[in-house]
Amino acid sequence: MEVESSFGPIDIAISGLRAQGKQLKVISSNIANARTSDAGNGEPYRRLQAEFKTDSDLGGVKLDKIVTDMSEFLRILDPGNPMADESGYVAMPNVSLPVEMINLNIATKMYQANVAVLRRYQQMIETTLELLR
Amino acid sequence: MSKAENIVDLIDAGIRAETLRQKAIANNIANLETPGYRRIDVKFGELLAKCLGSDEEFDLSEVEAQIFRPKQTPVKSNGNDVNFEAEVGQMIKNSLRHKAYIRLLSKKYKQIELAMDVK
Repeated sequence: MEVESSFGPIDIAISGLRAQGKQLKVISSNIANARTSDAGNGEPYRRLQAEFKTDSDLGGVKLDKIVTDMSEFLRILDPGNPMADESGYVAMPNVSLPVEMINLNIATKMYQANVAVLRRYQQMIETTLELLR
Repeated sequence: MSKAENIVDLIDAGIRAETLRQKAIANNIANLETPGYRRIDVKFGELLAKCLGSDEEFDLSEVEAQIFRPKQTPVKSNGNDVNFEAEVGQMIKNSLRHKAYIRLLSKKYKQIELAMDVK
């Protein structure tokens, strides 16, 4: 049995904070591995992408799964590299730094927006509590 | 004693529970990176609801808040399941409840004072 339900907006905003926090983790992994030519499986690092979902109405958001981006690897010309193929090209991760930086900005703004909701709701409750003075 | 009379006792029990929960949250945040640590929480609302719902007489001072480990949140790779954002949310809720109880208590005291002032 749910004893209290009047703090819904707080739980929803917190779910947003947690989701955006994980999104930030995914972005930082992509940026850190932007030039990782060996991800351990003989392939360069593949870009990761977070997918969000919501369970029910007013249920907040949660990170559903982290999927790998299957788009083409970037090929750069580096004939001196021991991993280069016969034409001198090396496969590099399919991470595009500008895209990651934009996603980083969006995730940061989303985090801030959720904090703003949290703070505003807290102020609303405190306004109500002023009636009890 | 009838259940409606002991408002001050009820609020007192609530404030004690919120104080304990604040300690639990502080403990969780302090152990944010402790390997193998599982977060603790305080059970009080359910216990009180059970007592208030039953027909039997009960003593409020016996309704003690309990510390327990929910073990429901996802565990990180180091065996720790504390999430900072979730703890902050708990803390905000906790302080709002605490504030509400304190305001109710001071309101009650004002009522008593008012009653004493009547000549």
